Amino acid sequence: MITFIIRRLIATVFLLVVVSMITFAIFFLVPRLAGQNSYQLATQYVGRNPTPAAVHDVEAKLGFNDPFYVQYGRFLKAIVFGAHYNNGPSSTYCPPPCFGYSFRTSQPVWPQMMSDAPVTLSIAAGAAVLWLVGGVSIGVLSALRKGSVFDRFSMGTALAGVSLPIFFTGLIALELFSYKWPIFPNVQFVPLTQNPLLWARNLVLPWIVLAFLYAALYARLTRAGMLETMGEDYIRTARAKGLPERTVIVKHGLRAALTPIVTIFGMDLGLLLGGAILTEVTFSMQGLGNFTIQAINNQDLPEIMGVTLLAAFFIVIANLVVDVLYAVVDPRVRY
Amino acid sequence: MRERKRLGLAAFAAAGTLLLAACGGSSGSSGGTASQGTTATYGAAITGVVNPSTHKGGTLTFGDSSTPDSTDPGNTYYAFMWNFTRLYTMPLMTYKSCPGSCGLQVVPDLATAPGQVSADGLTWTYHIQPNVKYEDGTTVTSQDVKYAVERTYDRSVFPLGPSYFPLLLQDPTYPGPYKDKTAGKMGLTSVTTPDSTTVVFHLAKPFADFNYVVAIPQTAPVPQSKDTGANYQLHPMSTGPYKFQSYQLNKTLTMVPNTNWSAASDPNAKQLVNKIVVNMNVNANDIDNRLMANDLGVDMPGTGVQAAARAKILASPTLKQQADNPISGFLWFFYINSVVPPLNNVACRQAVEYAANKVNLQTAYGGPIAGGAIGSTVAPPTLLGYKSFDLYEATTQPTGDVTKAKAALTACGHPSGFSTNIAYRSDRPKEVAAATALQQALSQVGIKTQLHGYPASTYYGNFAGVPRYVHSHDLGLATGGWAPDWPDGYGFFQYLTAGNSISPAGNTNIGELNDPVVNGLLAKFGTTTDAATRNSYTAQIDMQVMKDAVMLPEVYAKSLLYRNPNLTNVYVQQYFGMYNYAVLGLK
Repeated sequence: MITFIIRRLIATVFLLVVVSMITFAIFFLVPRLAGQNSYQLATQYVGRNPTPAAVHDVEAKLGFNDPFYVQYGRFLKAIVFGAHYNNGPSSTYCPPPCFGYSFRTSQPVWPQMMSDAPVTLSIAAGAAVLWLVGGVSIGVLSALRKGSVFDRFSMGTALAGVSLPIFFTGLIALELFSYKWPIFPNVQFVPLTQNPLLWARNLVLPWIVLAFLYAALYARLTRAGMLETMGEDYIRTARAKGLPERTVIVKHGLRAALTPIVTIFGMDLGLLLGGAILTEVTFSMQGLGNFTIQAINNQDLPEIMGVTLLAAFFIVIANLVVDVLYAVVDPRVRY
Repeated sequence: MRERKRLGLAAFAAAGTLLLAACGGSSGSSGGTASQGTTATYGAAITGVVNPSTHKGGTLTFGDSSTPDSTDPGNTYYAFMWNFTRLYTMPLMTYKSCPGSCGLQVVPDLATAPGQVSADGLTWTYHIQPNVKYEDGTTVTSQDVKYAVERTYDRSVFPLGPSYFPLLLQDPTYPGPYKDKTAGKMGLTSVTTPDSTTVVFHLAKPFADFNYVVAIPQTAPVPQSKDTGANYQLHPMSTGPYKFQSYQLNKTLTMVPNTNWSAASDPNAKQLVNKIVVNMNVNANDIDNRLMANDLGVDMPGTGVQAAARAKILASPTLKQQADNPISGFLWFFYINSVVPPLNNVACRQAVEYAANKVNLQTAYGGPIAGGAIGSTVAPPTLLGYKSFDLYEATTQPTGDVTKAKAALTACGHPSGFSTNIAYRSDRPKEVAAATALQQALSQVGIKTQLHGYPASTYYGNFAGVPRYVHSHDLGLATGGWAPDWPDGYGFFQYLTAGNSISPAGNTNIGELNDPVVNGLLAKFGTTTDAATRNSYTAQIDMQVMKDAVMLPEVYAKSLLYRNPNLTNVYVQQYFGMYNYAVLGLK
């Protein structure tokens, strides 16, 4: 197991390097292949109607004059060793992992991401608990009462949940429960360390809306898995042995049906930790998702690189955790 | 050009809604004086002051669906930030705080009087008020103004603000204070400070609009000892009624009263509320809902409410009486390139002017309320010296005149039409709709077009603003939007139409007009000291540009602003095209 984890972590580093190279190339190489030069690239980061000298200043500061590999090498070096940046009267040191300074705000990228991460983590973690518990429970009950009113209603609701985008359900939730009946007024992120109650109260709507989307999928997956599993011979054998129905369902049925759920849960959670973009935008919460939107709107390469690598990191780690969990969920799996 | 907050804001970005935050607002008496107020009716804040009051107290909250470009007065180009910075800065000049056209007047702020210009027009002298203090109690000096101007030369640290000083002053190659090797870093020789209250600007050539230039926030004083370069945005030293208490970059800004501010020295701003809070990256629809629920005071970008709120407001008499629909000073238009064949023939360009269906273009931008009024001139009505005229029947035959368009096509040697391309910003739905509407209208007269969409962030830098690219890709038409840096003809037309504004990248004279008549009139702006005479050039330039048919006006932009009923002293400052943030209070 230890060897497996070490091997996967090493692979993770290589994967992140590849992701960074691709992102860097998209930003720098593709425009150049399309005929744009570094001067034109620099004009994006200067105000309106700049003098040529102003554009050249920015071009030099951002290093656009240098060859691609030099710029990329500088980026990697800063992540490992840190870097010094000239932001005015004095040079400032950006300690590793230094993802550079924003082209727009001249602020270091890493601290900004770390200040946004708790918001995304809060949203993702709470919603994940809700959708996992809710989705799996509904899926199990639906499978056990196949064809019942409950089954039809819950699967119909699940279909709606999968179909309705967050910017729709979120706005409806805000309209109803924040403005019309202000049960959750003035929704905004409050750090857990500052006020746990307010933290939870202000996250209830984002959690529910996000969980509604995912729970629907999990309910359908669980239902399908349970229907298949509960028809297996070993379930019949378990019942024939006189095991209590709860044990049959939970220990023999659900456990087997959970394997694909764990897989997809790891992927979903990993993706969300990189930024719950729609949820954050809808509820005006400034997490990594909003950070990503800003970075893209501003064509801010250091920020785009930072958030891309962070998201990739989360996904890879989540997959690693899932692989480890396989061994727990399915005794047949050994590393 | 001031950036209309990015609609996204960026390249061309700006105009907004004010409202009062109920949160924290002291209830109690409405207090204060209530003289000469205007009843809160639809449009009341365009020409009058709604809820005039001197009542103090409460927390005023702003919501921004994006982020400021910068809170550093030396590094911002967003219209709403030029408005907002008046809460914590005092540039040499500013715009008089008053509703209607009165708000276009440029008046002294930190300066004691408008600049004294020398006989040759090359030297402008300003005396600053001797008793203005920073938030820490130290006195503002003329050296601080000079240092603030010096900072704007270092575009590697402050890339976002305007470039007027290097363009107008005598030593354009000054590298900025951080590379300045002279003692005290006062090496900018074109700005001198004979004493601690006098600052003198030495221009390379006469420029009569210079008072407008120093009304840009870049002349707000910066004490050298407090300058932190790119980090100065986190806590600019205040000379205005409020100072920064805390700022989480691009998230939340909190300001509190500056106890060293004096109302007597800053009559265009007020210090009425106890706290100002700016929440950034707030969902635009959420901003509207919070405004109408009195949870939020002001929509900071000032570009108007979204479609959902617009429908609610217009359908409800109660809500509608709290709304205003001012002309923002922004123009939406199409550039018509004067170099790309066959549009290098003026008759071909005139055919486009006649054929365009202006009603459909207006609809594309949101209709008469959210989009704007159909434009027949390049100059918007809020510009000083504006005169109404209509060369191409934009208002008399707004759906287009096919007969005259075909006649113009015949005159240009293409009686059955021609082919060209339309560039637009593909991430701006209104521009997509406008480009499609124009394509349909032009097809009625045989002008075949193909649509070419580009990202807004690179539109000027890499595509439509690069003449070489425009020529090689046959981009005869391109969408555009514009607001002036100051409200006269020079401020509006220079970068749009002057021959010497055409640049290899980031070009904003996309029509590539190089008309000696227009160039001559713009040059005369620089040397004509009489304001009335100068303003008379505006209509002349406008007429000539329309005769040249290098721009197809679409709409004089308007915004539907919602006014939180708890706000006091609310009115639209015409220069900004949004509510005046510097004077707001709460009931």
